[in-house]
Amino acid sequence: MAAMSLARRCARLLAALSLAAAVASAAADGRDLPPPGKIRDLDYGDVLFHFFQDDYFGALVRLEVSRDLQRMDHHAAEAELLSGGLYLSLGLHEEALRIFDRLLAEPVPQSVSDRAHFYLARIGYQRGYYAEATRSLERIRAPLPGALESERRLLASNVLMAQRRFVEAAGALQAAAGDDWTPFARFNLGVALVRAGDLAEGRRWLESVGTMPVGNDEQRALRDRANLALGYSLLQSQAGDQAIAALGRVRLDGPFSNRALLGLGWAEADVRRPERAIVPWLELREGRLLDAAVQESFLAVPYAYAQLASNGQAARQYRFAVDAYAAEAGRIDESIAAIRQGGFLDAILAAAPQDAPIGWFWQLGQAPDAPHTRYLYHLLASHGFQEGLKNYRDLRLMQRGLERSRESLTAFGDMVEAREQVAEIRAPRRDEVLANTDLDALARRQAALAERVEGIAATRDVAALATETEARQWATLAKIEASLGRLPAGAQRAELAERERLLRGTLLWQLDAQYKVRLQRLGAGLRDTGAGVEEARERLARVEQAGETAPRDTSGFAGRIDALARRADDLGPRIDVVAAAQEGLLARLAVEELEAQKRRLASYAMQAQFALAALYDGATAGTTP
Amino acid sequence: MRHPIETRAGVRRWRLCACALLVAGGLLAAARAPANEPAAAPAGELKGVDQDVQALKKQLVDLNRDLFRLEEELLYPASTQVAVFLSVDVGTFFALDSVTLTLDEKEVTSYLYTEREVQALHRGGVQKLYLGNLKAGEHEIVATFTGRGPHERDYRRGTTLKFEKAIGAKYLELRISDREAALQPQFVVRQWE
Repeated sequence: MAAMSLARRCARLLAALSLAAAVASAAADGRDLPPPGKIRDLDYGDVLFHFFQDDYFGALVRLEVSRDLQRMDHHAAEAELLSGGLYLSLGLHEEALRIFDRLLAEPVPQSVSDRAHFYLARIGYQRGYYAEATRSLERIRAPLPGALESERRLLASNVLMAQRRFVEAAGALQAAAGDDWTPFARFNLGVALVRAGDLAEGRRWLESVGTMPVGNDEQRALRDRANLALGYSLLQSQAGDQAIAALGRVRLDGPFSNRALLGLGWAEADVRRPERAIVPWLELREGRLLDAAVQESFLAVPYAYAQLASNGQAARQYRFAVDAYAAEAGRIDESIAAIRQGGFLDAILAAAPQDAPIGWFWQLGQAPDAPHTRYLYHLLASHGFQEGLKNYRDLRLMQRGLERSRESLTAFGDMVEAREQVAEIRAPRRDEVLANTDLDALARRQAALAERVEGIAATRDVAALATETEARQWATLAKIEASLGRLPAGAQRAELAERERLLRGTLLWQLDAQYKVRLQRLGAGLRDTGAGVEEARERLARVEQAGETAPRDTSGFAGRIDALARRADDLGPRIDVVAAAQEGLLARLAVEELEAQKRRLASYAMQAQFALAALYDGATAGTTP
Repeated sequence: MRHPIETRAGVRRWRLCACALLVAGGLLAAARAPANEPAAAPAGELKGVDQDVQALKKQLVDLNRDLFRLEEELLYPASTQVAVFLSVDVGTFFALDSVTLTLDEKEVTSYLYTEREVQALHRGGVQKLYLGNLKAGEHEIVATFTGRGPHERDYRRGTTLKFEKAIGAKYLELRISDREAALQPQFVVRQWE
């Protein structure tokens, strides 16, 4: 057992504690949600994707955005319920309450209202409003989906126990036999009954948990805890042999081994077997003096030696105890000084898993062995300290998240600024293009051209479509014809006229042959230019529109970025202030606890000195104690 | 003569037992207010700080909500936005390892899944795999899935879709489902209106 480090034992104890907290104060988690069935809004599925990975903060942010943008209308009621559960997970009870109340004020499916009542009951229980919790539980009309139903039964039994209605709580647990959480509830009931004085019934419940078959570490830890509680209860009634049986079932490598060993020794002493009592106490004394049970063993061992009439050994062990207590008190002083210097919470958090998400369920995995954290396992076992530590850790995470937000906002600001600069650079060119582009004139020219082509087609003016060469030839022929008119009639003129006619005919034939193709080509060209004019008109309209909207958009974004940056800047110092307050508060708690430990050590040391003095007195008087 | 410690120890012993019982027993039964509270907590002060923390958390949720929205509107305006989601329906015949997404012959994302993410998909979560911008017109999406197929064999399969992007956000869903008759996985791309 000595080989097992205290830190590991603490870690296991804390693991068991965290489970206990989960049983009693669990908020929404992945188990709470039934299979979503057919997803009708992909954004709701995206929220669930994050939720099912226990990323409650990410899920909540996405849920709020998608809800604002009306992207989850098909899952509105489920999404509202989920948002309440997520706020609860983050510890925002007031916000969660507001959402559940709002949800229940509307007509919603019974499956939704049942779960809302369950959450309200859970909040009521956590706050100690048991009557309200009972009323909410009574309003649940059908079995809840999945693991939530067994949690409902557990919650119902816890609420009954809190109201000291043990018989009804026992009845509720009998009905819930087989639920995963039933052993925890049976344990709760057993302890509650013992505390209420019904020892027989309480022990019966504890015995049932202490002898149950186990399949995992959580169940093993619970069984150990039940046997420990049962053993000490029996010790209290001086039923040593029975206590030995119960304490003997506690694992030696579990989180409760020290207390079990201490109790085992006392149980053996109770039945007058000091020679057997000394065995577990010696084993326990090998542990670290941080543990209260180990501290106790430093007194128990010499007590057993004295019982065995080994006074010399007893005296040596008492002196050993006095020295050990004094050394430990010195170490506690070191720790107090270290805590007062500050930063002890950061040291604790440094040992926590780095990827644990922000949220209600975060628990510390192990306590580091440093002067300012060495003695804090007692504190970490306390609900109030754990809550405060979670708050502190959440605040640190929030500060880091805020830093990332600021970086994003800076990047967005740069982006908007760059857009504005580009817009400014482009603006003169855009204005110039807009000013120099007379699209209407272009359109008029296009229309005139089309009209002219129509005229050519109507008169089949083949010469109008002549190429440049043909036009020149056509003009030359016209000049020749005019010159021929001025020549005297005769054979020569007739011959020239005939040659001119032949050339004209040939040219006309060529023009006519090309006319159709040329007209079609011209028509196609006209259509292309018409489309080009239209496209230019659209582009110009877009350029004009961009000029009008771009500056307005960027300035809109710039305003939003500025507002968000101001909010982030406002939050940062406030987070620091609250974190400092939280740290101060927890430091005070830690110092108070350490001082209490010092007082206990001083008391032990005094008892050891008294015993030593008595031994010396006895030795001087020649008597045997 | 009785050993002097015995009488004190006798008293102290039962006090110890009672104390230890409370310690052992209080862990669950008094989870809200453990019996082994090590020091008297200044409840009012704790509550005050807790309330401050809750108020800050709410403001941080609101801030992140507004930031998230700004980011989307700034980087992925509705007129050009395209979002690609991935979902798993049953998924008995295929264990997803990774997916690669190509838009218009350009790889836009390649994603490797953790066990936790795969579980979240199997429970009904839908992953927003890609968010980007596309201009109006015809586009092509190609998704390539790798993982373990039937009989634990390496499995690689692609699916493609040509789609028309109009003015307004476009949602596409990559869906992995079971083709019971063929005992094979099925991969489809689905357009959402």
